[in-house]
Amino acid sequence: MKKIRKMSLAAVTSVIVVSCTLIVTSAVQAKPPRSEAQIAQERAALMTAVAKGDDLWHSAKLGNNGLACANCHPDGSASNVHTWPKFQTNLGKVGTLREMINWCIAVPMQGRILESDSEEMIAMEAYATFTHRGVAIAPAKDEQHGAVPVKSGPGYPRH
Amino acid sequence: MKKISRRQFLGMSTKAGAATMFAGIFAPSASSMLGLGGVAEAATKKIKPFTFAVLTDAHLYDIADHKFDHILEKAVADVNSIKPRPDFVLYAGDLGQSGKKAELVKGKKILDKLKMPYKIIPGEHDYYLDMGKAWRQLFGDEHWSFNHNGVHFIGMNSILVPDFWTLKNLTPQERMHMMEELECHNCGAWGVGEKQLNWLARDVKRVSPDTPVVIMTHSPLWDYYPRWNFQTYDAPEIRETLRKFDKVISIHGHVHQVVYNEIDNMRSCGLLSTSWPWPYPPVELEYPHITQRRADPGDFEDGLGGHDISLDTDFNSIVRWREFSDLLPDNIKKGLKV
Repeated sequence: MKKIRKMSLAAVTSVIVVSCTLIVTSAVQAKPPRSEAQIAQERAALMTAVAKGDDLWHSAKLGNNGLACANCHPDGSASNVHTWPKFQTNLGKVGTLREMINWCIAVPMQGRILESDSEEMIAMEAYATFTHRGVAIAPAKDEQHGAVPVKSGPGYPRH
Repeated sequence: MKKISRRQFLGMSTKAGAATMFAGIFAPSASSMLGLGGVAEAATKKIKPFTFAVLTDAHLYDIADHKFDHILEKAVADVNSIKPRPDFVLYAGDLGQSGKKAELVKGKKILDKLKMPYKIIPGEHDYYLDMGKAWRQLFGDEHWSFNHNGVHFIGMNSILVPDFWTLKNLTPQERMHMMEELECHNCGAWGVGEKQLNWLARDVKRVSPDTPVVIMTHSPLWDYYPRWNFQTYDAPEIRETLRKFDKVISIHGHVHQVVYNEIDNMRSCGLLSTSWPWPYPPVELEYPHITQRRADPGDFEDGLGGHDISLDTDFNSIVRWREFSDLLPDNIKKGLKV
């Protein structure tokens, strides 16, 4: 009895050691002196881009017929950010999410396309991607995909 | 029975709209206008078979020659071509996009090309610029009921939210702009409100339980995806009021897609728009086989269309999504038995 107890304790200990190692491995951070404050600042910069992208996504100003991206893609849904690059029929080639955003601006919204690496385009990509956080990358998957479900609020920390 | 023309029908419904003080006694009912029976007549088990059509969610912009104008025109022409001709048409809201009178006037002009009478309810896009003033001037009451061939039809305004604008000092344009966003998280949940709930209770009080009932609202009468107001917060009360009936068919706009659900005696059908198809929200559906395929953004008519609903003597109905393209799976291509 005693022996078994000891063995199981050892087993438990090894499990704890293994899981600790796993946790540490999965939470590898950049080397010091990257401070907590710095990390918070960088995170805030991303969220500022997401918020800017959210506003653009919902703005009719990108197009010329009153439509916004969000008319067809609420919460970034059906933009399938996790599937790009892929062959897209309307692009007629293997393209990127940014190219598809520009296609939507140019064709259904009848607007003027954005510079691919403009602040606006990066913000829109940041928004669409952030609404799909945690969704697995799935190249060429072509069924329509919803965004991360939202219970309340804007769906991300926004101030 | 005297046949009533579309013009008379609409004219009378506008008058009924003006006489709201009588709305509480009995709905400014279109029953007499359709010349087809009152409450007593509705209380029979057998109905006289007929077809009606449904259109919704045109989202017209105040922009000349807009593509959505043409899609609504196409849907109206499609309904006019249905044989045998539908007895009337129901319109489930969001005729305009930004609540402007010009959008609603343009929409009415197109709907007036229908060869049969139509009844309409408001959607949030018709409403929050002037709180429905222009809409009521053009179309009359926001809620109504009528009887047709033994079926009791109900229309209600399900897009009412508590005042979120006064404290924030929002202009009517700002209020409308917020409501235009499907994801508006500051606007509150939609419902029909206490006044309409009371009206509904009075309206169906004298209607016998074996009467077939069809209810139309803009938003679904079930919790589909509240985030996008694919819900009506007081739907449980509505369902409770209608619980005494053997069968209730609920048709709703707003979702811009084929979707189906059943709760107790209510069978709900989501309708196609004539503007754009919404994606399916990230929730599991009870009836996943009653959905449409993904639309191609390069085809501006993909996933759009109208509907016709045929009822037989026993209130067995066939709901047909008249999609302009080919996104319906085989099992509902010829319609769904509801």
